[in-house]
Order: sequence, then C-alpha cells, then structure tokens
Amino acid sequence: MTREEIVEQVNALLAGEFEVEANAFAPDANVKETLSLDSLSLVDLVALIQQTYKVKIPATELRSIQTFENLYDYIESHLPAK
Amino acid sequence: MNTAAIDRLIPQRAPIQLVDELIEAEGDRAVCSYTVPVGSLFIEEDGLLAEVGLIEHIAQSASALAGHKALLAGASEPPVGYIGEVKHFRCFRRPRQGDVLLTTVTMGPEAEGVTLLTGETRVGDETVAATRLKILIRELR
Repeated sequence: MTREEIVEQVNALLAGEFEVEANAFAPDANVKETLSLDSLSLVDLVALIQQTYKVKIPATELRSIQTFENLYDYIESHLPAK
Repeated sequence: MNTAAIDRLIPQRAPIQLVDELIEAEGDRAVCSYTVPVGSLFIEEDGLLAEVGLIEHIAQSASALAGHKALLAGASEPPVGYIGEVKHFRCFRRPRQGDVLLTTVTMGPEAEGVTLLTGETRVGDETVAATRLKILIRELR
C-alpha cells in the first residue's frame, strides 16, 4: 500500500466515521481538534485503525500522534507485512 | 469461583450485583454467569429482566475481568469502572427469572483510560443480547 493510498483511505474512513469533510484534513492539522475527539471518542479512532489496518496504537504511542501526518506515518510504519 | 469470590473482583453488592461467577478468564476475554433471581430489582412488571439490567450485567462482567487482571497484577482491591457509552446495544430477548445468563466479554482498544469492549449474552444456545461499551476504569491501588 502506497503512502498516497494510505492518506486517501484514512481520510475517507475518518470522514465517514466522524462526519467531517475530508478536505479539512490538512497534514499538519491536529487530529483531535479536527475530528472533535473527546476522551470518550478517542478510543473510536484507535479501534477504527486497529480494525481496518490491524495496527494497534498503544496509549504511549497515541500521545505522540498529534497531526494527520503523524497518523499516516504511524500506520505506514506499522502495517503488517503481507 | 463462587459468589464470595466474585465479591473480590467487582465492587457491586446485592441487590445490584449482577454477576454470580467468573467462569473463565484468559487474556482480554472472560466468561461470566448470572442466574436472574426472582424479585430482582431489575425485573419489570412483565416478569422479564429489564434491558438496562442486561447492559449492567455485561458491564459488571467486564468489571469482573478487570478485577481478575488487577488482582493477578498484585492490586489489593478491584478497580472501579464506569460505563461511559453504550454502543449498538441489541436485545433479542429479555431473560426470564431463573434464566442462567452466560456472558462473554472481550476487552478491545484503550485510549486515555477508556476501554472499548464487546459483550454477548447467551441463555443456553440462544444469544439474547450483544453490545459494545466504553468503560472508564479507575485503579484504586
């Protein structure tokens, strides 16, 4: 899966799940603010990524994911080898 | 494990304790049982367990798993958990008094103290309820 495919697919997933226009997802935009995630809904993001990509995001790693760029990077570097 | 032992795993007590026994627990998955007693606070006028009782039973089953894991990790008391959100609750049949509920709970992802879990309750071979819950777990010690 290429970087472009990851970006496109993640944006579509997040737009659908959190009902936000995908064009709001600037690479350097803050994920939590853009998706209006609170302490209860943040786990939905983690579950969505885990379910879709089989990529787990431990609590310690989650803190380092601030922007969409961070999120794409994390997924790309943790995708299971096929 | 009997009811006396379940008291070590969950903070709820009669008449709002809705788990009798932790039957098995392995990793992030557990199976709990509960026999719906005659005259339970959660029985409605039609003699059937209220849907909220089913949700609470599933949440307490998750609490039993969390308590089991906490005690294995050396805690002296079980953690206190709160239901943060109920998602996709489906009730296929409300149980009767005397029905034995067998509930499988599986802990999913966690973020900032909120754990997403799935629960399914059966009576015999029949699935009577299923849901996803967000639980906030607070460690006591």
